[in-house]
This record gives sequence, C-alpha cells and structure tokens, in this order.
Amino acid sequence: MNWQLVTFYILGLVILYAAYRVVTSAVITHAALWLAVALVGVAGIYLQLQAEFLAIIQVLIYVGAIVTIIIFAIMLSPLREIKTEEKDRRGGATRMGRAVASVEWGLAPVAAGLLFALGMTWAYSRQAWPVGSVPPGLITEPLGKSLMTTYLLPFEVASVLLLVAMVGAIVLAIRGQK
Amino acid sequence: MVSLHGYLVLAAFLFGLGLYGALARTNAIRILMAIELMLNAVNINLVAFAQYLTPGLVTGAVFAVFVITVAAAEAAVGLAIVLLVARQRGVIEVDKINLMKW
Repeated sequence: MNWQLVTFYILGLVILYAAYRVVTSAVITHAALWLAVALVGVAGIYLQLQAEFLAIIQVLIYVGAIVTIIIFAIMLSPLREIKTEEKDRRGGATRMGRAVASVEWGLAPVAAGLLFALGMTWAYSRQAWPVGSVPPGLITEPLGKSLMTTYLLPFEVASVLLLVAMVGAIVLAIRGQK
Repeated sequence: MVSLHGYLVLAAFLFGLGLYGALARTNAIRILMAIELMLNAVNINLVAFAQYLTPGLVTGAVFAVFVITVAAAEAAVGLAIVLLVARQRGVIEVDKINLMKW
C-alpha cells in the first residue's frame, strides 16, 4: 500500500470538491467555509512536499486571517443580498447548471476553466521531467536564512506592502463611515 | 512516491476551477475567493517545482511566501473596496457596478 499516493489522492479530492463548492454553493457564507477546507487541504499538500513552514503559514495566514476577514466582511456588510442566495436568472436543474445559466456568456467560463486545466495537463504530459525526489530535510532553517540574507530586500518590500495595505484598508473603512 | 505530474495536474484543475469562478460569478466577494483559489494553485506549482527540480534550494518556497503576502494584502484592500461600494451604492454584483463604464 502506497500511503503517500493514497494521501495525495484523498487530499486532491478534498481540495477539488471544496473548490467546486466555493465556486458554486448558493450561500456565500458556505462558500467562505468551503474555502477554508480547500486551503487546509493545500496545507496538507505542502506538508507532503516537505515544505512544513509553508503549511504552517498557510493555516495561519490563509485560514486564520484571510478566511476570517472574508467571513467578517460578509457578516458586517449592510446588504442582505451578500448573505443570502444569489438570484438565478434563468434557472436550471443542477447547481452547476444554474451557475452556468446565470451568466450572460453561458458556457464560456466553464469552457475557459476546463480548457485551461486539460490544456495544461496535456502540456505537462508531453514533457519528460527529470525524475528527482523531494529532499528529506526540513525547509524552515534554509528558508529563514535566505529570507534574511539573499532575499532581504524583497522581504522588506513585502513588509512595506503589508503596512500600506493595512493603512489603505483602514482609510477606506473610515471614509465609508461618513 | 507521488510524481511531479500529480501535483501539477492537481494545481491545473484547481486553477481551472478558480478561473471558472472568477469569470462566471458576479458576487464580488466570491470573485475574491476564486482569486485566492487561483493563487493557491500557483503556490502548489511553485513549491512542487522547487522541491522536485531544485532540491536543496528554497527559491520556490521564498516565492510562495511572497505570493501569500500579496494575497493577504489583496484580500484586505479588496474587501475594504467591496464593502465601501456595497455601502455607498447598494450593489455587490460586479456587472451592476458600471459607474466608470461607458
């Protein structure tokens, strides 16, 4: 029994199903919670790739901060229609069918998504990658060292970006109060 | 052992779902969520390539850290803008926010 492969398939199914529900579920609060499921699954993929630091910050930042922000935004928003079901304009049998029917271009988004996924799969299958293996060591120590030496400038720029985004979000929120 | 292909195909389908969501849905908050899905797919690709093709180097992981940072900033500012528009104009559907569209 190849447990790595089994784990990968389970994680992949969970991620893809949760992502499908994020895109198609009618109530947007449910979509936010399914997004949390998908992001935890991606953290599992990182763990399987021996990138344990990324798995931890994935759970901390994405699930702990971004999904929480999204749920807060949904809960605090004054509009009822954010929280309730999106109106389907033409109707359809299945959930996907209703989602397809609710846009003006009909099948074009489905075609775009499927074409992208299948096209990339086809392109990957034509390429013979050099067979490597995931190194057994932990990633945290070399990652921290390179963030403090080689990538010090981008690291500082990223922190300035976060500061600017925080100030900008606060300014937008205050301006909306008046 | 999972091959590199497995991760790449999973990331491609996750990106496809996110692309479909960003194109097909009209709720601004759901479009932001679909963009987060796409960024996650890109991150899986980055980490998988880094771990399989350049073992011992952490360049791909560093890039993934920056992508997560930018995603956090994007979520904060994007949601602030969406809430501001929702409060001032009373709509959340992106095809009805057409003030600057001729």
